Amino acid sequence: MAVSSSHNLTRRGLLALGAGAGSALLLSACGGGGGPAGPAGPSKAASAAPTTYTGPKVDLAFWNGFTGGDGPFMKKLVERFNGEHPNIKVTMNVYQWADYYAKVPAAVTAGQGPDVGIMHVDSVPTNAARQVIVPLDDLAASLSLTESDFSPPVWKAGVYRNARYAIPLDVHPLGMFYNKAVVAEAGLDPDKPPRTGADYLAALEELKKAGIQGHWATPFPFTGTFQFGSLLHQFGGTLFSADAATATFAQEPGVKALSWLVDLITKGYSPKNVGQDADLIALKNGKAAYNWNGIWTINTLNEAEGLEWGVAPLPVIGDQPAAWAGSHQFVVFKQRARDDDKLAAAKVFINWISQHSIEWAKGGQVPARKTIREGAEFKALEHQSVIGSQIDHLYFLPPVPGIPDASAQIDTAVNQAILLKKEPAAALGEAAAKADKILEQNRKKYGA
Amino acid sequence: MKALRASAWYLMLTGFAILVIGPLLWMVFTSLKSNGEATRIPPTFVPERFTADGYGTLFEGRTQAPVLRWFANSMIAATAQTLLILLVASTAAYALARLEFRGKGPLFAVIVGTLLVPSFVLLIPNFLIVDRLGWLDSLWALIVPGAAGAFGVFFLRQFFLGLPRELEEAATIEGANHLHIFVKIVLPLSRPALATLAVLSFLGNWNEFIWPIYVIFSPDYFTLPPGLSILQGAYTIDYPVIMAGAVLASVPALIIFVVAQRYVIEGVSRTGLKG
Amino acid sequence: MVDLRARSAAVVSVAPRPVRRRGRFTPLFFLAPYLVLFCLFVVVPAIFGGWISLHEWDYLLPGKPFTGLDNYLALFDPDSRVSGDFWTSMKATGIFTVASVPPLVILPLGVALLLNRRFRGRTFFRAVFFMPFVLGVAVISVMWRILLDPNIGFVNHLLGANIPWTTDLPWAWISLVGITVWWTLGFNAVIYLAGLQDIPAELYDAAGVDGANRWQRFVHVTLPGLRPVALFVTTTTILASANMFGQSFLITKGAPGVETRTTIMYIAQEGLRDYRMGSAAAMSYVLTLVLVAVSVINFRLFRSRS
Repeated sequence: MAVSSSHNLTRRGLLALGAGAGSALLLSACGGGGGPAGPAGPSKAASAAPTTYTGPKVDLAFWNGFTGGDGPFMKKLVERFNGEHPNIKVTMNVYQWADYYAKVPAAVTAGQGPDVGIMHVDSVPTNAARQVIVPLDDLAASLSLTESDFSPPVWKAGVYRNARYAIPLDVHPLGMFYNKAVVAEAGLDPDKPPRTGADYLAALEELKKAGIQGHWATPFPFTGTFQFGSLLHQFGGTLFSADAATATFAQEPGVKALSWLVDLITKGYSPKNVGQDADLIALKNGKAAYNWNGIWTINTLNEAEGLEWGVAPLPVIGDQPAAWAGSHQFVVFKQRARDDDKLAAAKVFINWISQHSIEWAKGGQVPARKTIREGAEFKALEHQSVIGSQIDHLYFLPPVPGIPDASAQIDTAVNQAILLKKEPAAALGEAAAKADKILEQNRKKYGA
Repeated sequence: MKALRASAWYLMLTGFAILVIGPLLWMVFTSLKSNGEATRIPPTFVPERFTADGYGTLFEGRTQAPVLRWFANSMIAATAQTLLILLVASTAAYALARLEFRGKGPLFAVIVGTLLVPSFVLLIPNFLIVDRLGWLDSLWALIVPGAAGAFGVFFLRQFFLGLPRELEEAATIEGANHLHIFVKIVLPLSRPALATLAVLSFLGNWNEFIWPIYVIFSPDYFTLPPGLSILQGAYTIDYPVIMAGAVLASVPALIIFVVAQRYVIEGVSRTGLKG
Repeated sequence: MVDLRARSAAVVSVAPRPVRRRGRFTPLFFLAPYLVLFCLFVVVPAIFGGWISLHEWDYLLPGKPFTGLDNYLALFDPDSRVSGDFWTSMKATGIFTVASVPPLVILPLGVALLLNRRFRGRTFFRAVFFMPFVLGVAVISVMWRILLDPNIGFVNHLLGANIPWTTDLPWAWISLVGITVWWTLGFNAVIYLAGLQDIPAELYDAAGVDGANRWQRFVHVTLPGLRPVALFVTTTTILASANMFGQSFLITKGAPGVETRTTIMYIAQEGLRDYRMGSAAAMSYVLTLVLVAVSVINFRLFRSRS
């Protein structure tokens, strides 16, 4: 059970990291030697404080997938950074996320990769194993960043084989968006969104009486799979075992979660055959009352003229609160020739953006850094802080390479069940059996 | 009677045309709606209020993207590749249709056979080859490899086989060599086929969006499809912007078609064979 | 008429009266430019792809273990990770190909015949029928996904119906085939049009002198004259349909479940999303073998009809 021991090592390594700078440096050396993409020796730059860069002028290429309403916020931050750091010039390139994840490995292989980038937390271990990105333990160590500066699951998710590969920038959880006018029309209090499963179903029943199908259950990954995962965790389950050896999403909590979503249709709270994006469009048009969607939806709804909307944490349908979240994390790409000046500058950049991530939060995100998340400025961001209040109840996939391949099977099961093609238990069972085979092959492939 | 038949015929044609053009009108109208109206339930067809916001987003946009530069890159890449295909495919097709040499049958079979190989198999190997050639992140990568496909050769060979041989035979008797026959007789006779191949090749390159992901890194060398996909955003549902991008990208391609199809009409019938 | 028969016999098979042979290197001279490109960017990568299919291969991982025929055998082993999904995807591709090829071969011929006549507005109508093909797959897919949305789409609004165009069978297939016909009809139509221009006018004149009516001229002049072009259209349409993936990927996402996930879509997920390029290459070559069989039959059919 190589996987579970490596996971334990990871946990221990993180504890050591918290214990003191000495052990953190040791860990960094271990990570460097043990991780497949480790630098040849201890970095000179590691010892310099990454808050200032005094070397010769360097250019940094910074790539990401912020093509939506979030792009301008990051661009402004980068411009400010460039203004304050005359010897570092950061150039930001934006691609569609899907293109980005295909393009970056190709560029890195060709020796034309960028210096700094953003990755979703689920993609970090795969890219670490494929040697696209390099370990950042020395950065974390020299900034004295620890788990307690972030939230434990977000921070842990960036570790692969005892080495840290990513520094969290933000988390973007699911929230419950609702149309205030529709809710009020059905005689419900638009300022008191339902908090429990019983409240939620009662509200849907009231809406049904008023002729509104309140919660459109979408069979597509955005965000049907996320809703399923959130419910599953609320019912006390996990998608995979902690060591990612087996898929656990077909167990009882998973079946309960998926059945609950399917029941929305059979009870008449949702139409059948909901298409992609139709759930959110329905909300905007007053055809639905609730939509569990990502925090990025704030931008979409803000642009809708004359729409009165609100957002709340996901109601607790199961036994405990839980919500899906993604997380954007900083990564540094492997280069053919190591350039210590660029590395040092990259660290200054990452640290600076992280410290100024309140500006980023304004673009519709929850900052990963605790001090910023708990600051008055973030609390003043009405919608973001409501969604951010779920921070201690978020779940992430186990950080093993290739985990997205296995979790893609969940999409199929959710699709089959919500389109009423298969019973939830049968759909999940088949998907889990396939996911187990994928996990097994991934262990072989990535040598875990 | 004749007039009745003519008008019935126009009616049928127009009916077909409306079916074809309806969705395109919807696209153009959507590009001229506000985002709110574009996602309204029930949907509208003609905009209640016309707005060019979708186009505005593309040009000044969120990222101040070099749309005109992408446009130029698309033009250069598609034109250059089309010319290259016309050159190499027509000569090879002539050899396969008109010359006798050993191994011709098997060679043709191999060329057509490669059409059966899904292009995804070739993607990563081609990426590695283009890397070796030093063409990554340059327009060369968008021009040359795509010209090697078997489509043009197969297409022109089929057309050359259908050409009447009488003129060529007469020229041979007069002592003309193959280059002369190819340039002076076969190519002029094949104007409809060449124009058709040119349009199809141009469009194929113009709309290509997977290969550029792997070989182009700098926004300066982007063509329109990857460029527009950046502008259209990932999470936000902004149909007018998507449709505006589509209209923008398709107008030049449509102009090329209208110009080129004149050569299709003025094919054999006007090149001296009539009567 | 006899002359016509001879001509059509010449069309598919080797020419009976080749131009006199001159210079041994003439064929090479004509072939060389293409063959250089062909070898470098098609043959070498195709062979390399075959080599990849014998490995567990990810271009970024240092270890690319040789696995022999394992990637192929897995496709035929019902207990393997891939075989169920692969054959489901082959079935999807088969359904789409069988359903889409006949309309895509026949309808464009009709359109081409209509548009080949002389009438006012011909250029306009040609442009209209060709117009959808000018758009990229990403655009037509987003557009039709919105139009065909089961609950809030314009098409159902127009019909006053509740048809699950994109989420249930057989509707999803009807949509995918219909959209593809709408989109690529102009492509085949212009090829037929070019082919019609290629038929010498004197053949029609001769048929007219023989007293043939319009239908007889179509059957005895137009169809034989179009034979090489029709072979080309049929072959490339079969290939295009067998390679369909953009429409499924973007409109139905393979729904319901994986019923409309085509082979190429599955191969793309396997090779490009999950980085199992050895397995994806093996699947590609199994698909190629099936297509070789189909194409051979197709070529035979066209030859035997002459």
